[in-house]
Amino acid sequence: MKKMIKVENLYHSYNNDDNYAVNDVSFEIRKGEIFGFLGPSGAGKSTTQNILVGLLQLQRGEVEVAGYDIKHIKNKMFNKIGMSFEQSNVYGKMTGLENLEFYRKLFDVETREPMELIRMVGLDGKENIKAGEYSKGMKHRLTFARSMINNPEIWFLDEPTTGLDPAIAANIKDIIRQENEKGVTVFLTTHNMHIADELCDRVAFIVDGKIRLIDSPKKLKLEYGEKLVDVEYFREGELVKDSFSTVAGGGKDRLVDVIRNHEIQTMHTKEATLEEIFISVTGRGLV
Amino acid sequence: MIKKILLLFQRDLKVSVRNFITLYILVVPVIFAVVINIFSPGINDTTVEIVLLEGENPEQVEYFKQFANVTLLETIEAVEERVRKRDHIIGVLPDGSQEYFILTQGNEPDYIVDYVKNLTAFDHYGIGTEDSTAEIVDYGRDIPPLKKLMVNTAMIFTSILGGMIIALNIVEEKTDNTISAIHLSPVSRMGFIAGKSLMGVFVPVVSAFLILTITGFRNINYFHAFLMIVTSSIISILIGFIEGINNDDVMNAAGNMKLLFLPLFGCIAGEELLADKWQFLFYWIPFYWTYKGNDLVLSNSGSWLDIIKYAGIVLGISIIVFLVLAPRIRKGLE
Repeated sequence: MKKMIKVENLYHSYNNDDNYAVNDVSFEIRKGEIFGFLGPSGAGKSTTQNILVGLLQLQRGEVEVAGYDIKHIKNKMFNKIGMSFEQSNVYGKMTGLENLEFYRKLFDVETREPMELIRMVGLDGKENIKAGEYSKGMKHRLTFARSMINNPEIWFLDEPTTGLDPAIAANIKDIIRQENEKGVTVFLTTHNMHIADELCDRVAFIVDGKIRLIDSPKKLKLEYGEKLVDVEYFREGELVKDSFSTVAGGGKDRLVDVIRNHEIQTMHTKEATLEEIFISVTGRGLV
Repeated sequence: MIKKILLLFQRDLKVSVRNFITLYILVVPVIFAVVINIFSPGINDTTVEIVLLEGENPEQVEYFKQFANVTLLETIEAVEERVRKRDHIIGVLPDGSQEYFILTQGNEPDYIVDYVKNLTAFDHYGIGTEDSTAEIVDYGRDIPPLKKLMVNTAMIFTSILGGMIIALNIVEEKTDNTISAIHLSPVSRMGFIAGKSLMGVFVPVVSAFLILTITGFRNINYFHAFLMIVTSSIISILIGFIEGINNDDVMNAAGNMKLLFLPLFGCIAGEELLADKWQFLFYWIPFYWTYKGNDLVLSNSGSWLDIIKYAGIVLGISIIVFLVLAPRIRKGLE
């Protein structure tokens, strides 16, 4: 399948010394994939992303984005990429609609109708208010909407749901899924493991500038989660807790027996969360 | 690319009109022009003032009025008191029949006192301008020198206003953090800089032409004026970028732009007041050459060669400044 992003042995140092913010990072992202770049603050996520979009100069390594070599960035490349920044960055003295109208005219490709995007992110009715008067969440949504205006093939999302209330965050996640279904490749940078778990086809764990692991959330859970089912049930009037292996000998039969003959209070599979796997793999928390 | 540069310029213009400070800056040149019209003296205005005794010699009053500003007071005491005031007004009072004496404070310039002395003598002997045998040959210049100086200064001043608006727009981009968003569009870094720079040309050109029209300089060569205005705006554009990059606050950026007023007014004062041997001290200031070029434009006496010479010097100095500042501007807009 076509590779949309190819990174080989990427290094970056802000002081041009051996203290690397990004240290020998390599990965590839296929077309139509949602790739999560996960790590705590200061891990090197934003640095990597800023190099990929050309906001930071490539110092060492090979990077190819949408078929363009980042060493020699061509302006045409930006017709193919979109980016939603973590810190909203819209013109405060222009209305929401004017912001999108202005930005769309900067592109050389077919663009989306600004009002369509405004409706999509739930800002309809607020389009003629100056963005400077928007709340933090509204500005964030406008920044998110703007990143879609040029129908990007690769969509860089930096903490797309941070600071949004749960209903709006759910809406944003739906939009990401819909766009991905249309074939848009998504590079998602976040420290929120829940959104990564819900959306990503594959995730990379990055800590101290180094990628520790790349795989799909499902495989990681299978690999790192325990294959146990925790059950709370009543036996002779007393509440009993027990764990049953779903693979080891006899565990399945005992579980079936408990289900048949006892009243079940609670029952959970012992599936690991991405956060637990991250801590287990990197030895670090996500904050 | 030109379409995108114009788009960036349109955005800046739209936002500038919505901002009180930048709107004020845009209106300032019109205020200047009106003020120049009100306060600059006319071609026949004179600075020589004479105070006379009212009703004492009406013919003399009429004669003096042709050559000086005349004030009439009722008593000798009032005339004496008026002469004692700080300005250079000269009293002419009767001293017996047909005789007059000239009353001064003593600190008036000799040429003013001599001028009044001659007027008094000419009036006494009945000599008028028609008695002169001299033929007058002139260059047809009918603009008062002070008005020309004020308009010239105002024209250069507008270029600084253009730079000031650029600085304010850059500060706005930094505050809203929007430069990174522009960099992720197909607009090149140079395109962005060019788009931002257009305000620094548009404001001086429109403002200067407004000033020229309002103050009555309608018969000059406007192409000459355009060339001088555009070249003089380059240095202000560069400083505007640097101040925008170095400041995070609108007021600081505008305040620092005022530093340009010092070389501006300094070189004008130097050109007007200092002897030729000291003029070299101002050669490094582009405004100095702009002032000289504008002077030719306003007096309508400069050839294309003259104007290109002065515009070329301004352009040369601006290119040197650009070469020094360009890396800082590029880095600052990353």
